[in-house]
Amino acid sequence: MADAGRSLKLFYAALAAILVVGVVLIVRSKGGNPAAGLVASSECNAPPLADSSPPLRGMQLGPDSARIEIDEYSDFECPWCARFAILTMPDVRQGLIPTGLVKWRFKNFPLTEIHANTAGAHLAASCAGDQGKFWEMEDALYMNQERWGSQRNPEGSFLEYARNLGLDTDSFQVCMKQQRNWSRIVADKCDGIRLGVEGTPTFFVNGRRLPDIPAYDDLKRLVDSIAAATTAKPAAPSRATAPRR
Amino acid sequence: MAVATLALVGALISLYLLLYKLGVVGSLICGAGGGCERVQASRYSDFLGLPVAGYGVAGYLVLLAIALYGLGPDRVARPGPTRLLALLSGVGVLFSAYLFSLELFVIHAICRWCTASAAIIAAICAVSGLALLGERRAGAGA
Repeated sequence: MADAGRSLKLFYAALAAILVVGVVLIVRSKGGNPAAGLVASSECNAPPLADSSPPLRGMQLGPDSARIEIDEYSDFECPWCARFAILTMPDVRQGLIPTGLVKWRFKNFPLTEIHANTAGAHLAASCAGDQGKFWEMEDALYMNQERWGSQRNPEGSFLEYARNLGLDTDSFQVCMKQQRNWSRIVADKCDGIRLGVEGTPTFFVNGRRLPDIPAYDDLKRLVDSIAAATTAKPAAPSRATAPRR
Repeated sequence: MAVATLALVGALISLYLLLYKLGVVGSLICGAGGGCERVQASRYSDFLGLPVAGYGVAGYLVLLAIALYGLGPDRVARPGPTRLLALLSGVGVLFSAYLFSLELFVIHAICRWCTASAAIIAAICAVSGLALLGERRAGAGA
């Protein structure tokens, strides 16, 4: 009986030890950033900006006049977005954008509910965009996602990337401090929420949502088929057959 | 004892996922695939308006409480707690199977922590079921 009591006490001690270790591990993994939590769905109750569709400066590839519009709703701290940006986006830039058929628009969809550092990253990218280096900053952020994503305060990393890209770091820091483009970032996210975006990355091709994350070949096929269909449409013969001058 | 230990570990895993879902934990330690974040960002991470991980925390704490209650010296021989553990963990296994099928066929991403939790609830169900069988055999033999 005494043995049973002793082993029960030992068991309770072991349980307490597991509890303490677990709580310590969870607390140690806790992130945190003052910029977190800035976007909530409730912010979308405000009426959309008059020009909610145009992307932030520098967040578009391809000409405005392109027939095919691809909108990418993305979050800088989302691993699947990073995978797409690193593996697929280089092919898009080399294979699709030069055709002039496609305008590719990056739409901010920071998942601040689950990503502590994403708000700061979206601000950093938009501030780089103000200086004409959005896509370069996008690359830097996705390539180094694991690094800044795990930092308590990633501002130093963002500044380092800005410096490496040759940005005017004083202007960059002022832009970051003022959260200059935040309302536009929120507007992007609200656009996405209205369209039913639930996760990232989510893609829309001429307003039609893609069911999954596309591979480059899927995108190429889709663009080719839309291009062929719109060229063959009898409704627009004047443009399609207009003689070149 | 095994059930209580498993339930405590399950509660901690669920708590980790819940804190992540609530934005308290910055990012999940989840390996290179990022499946946990994709699953947690999906609409299936909520059930009836509440985070699925919250149900996990509550469920495991209930299992832990029952398991600890059943360890009391005057209650070890009673079948009630074991039956309750088998029943509740059985429900948990079914719910975990539903969530796992969503990961496989709808979300197309696997959350390792969710899989660990599913394994734990399955283990609790197995241990409770075996204990229940043992009690019945002992009862039949007496």
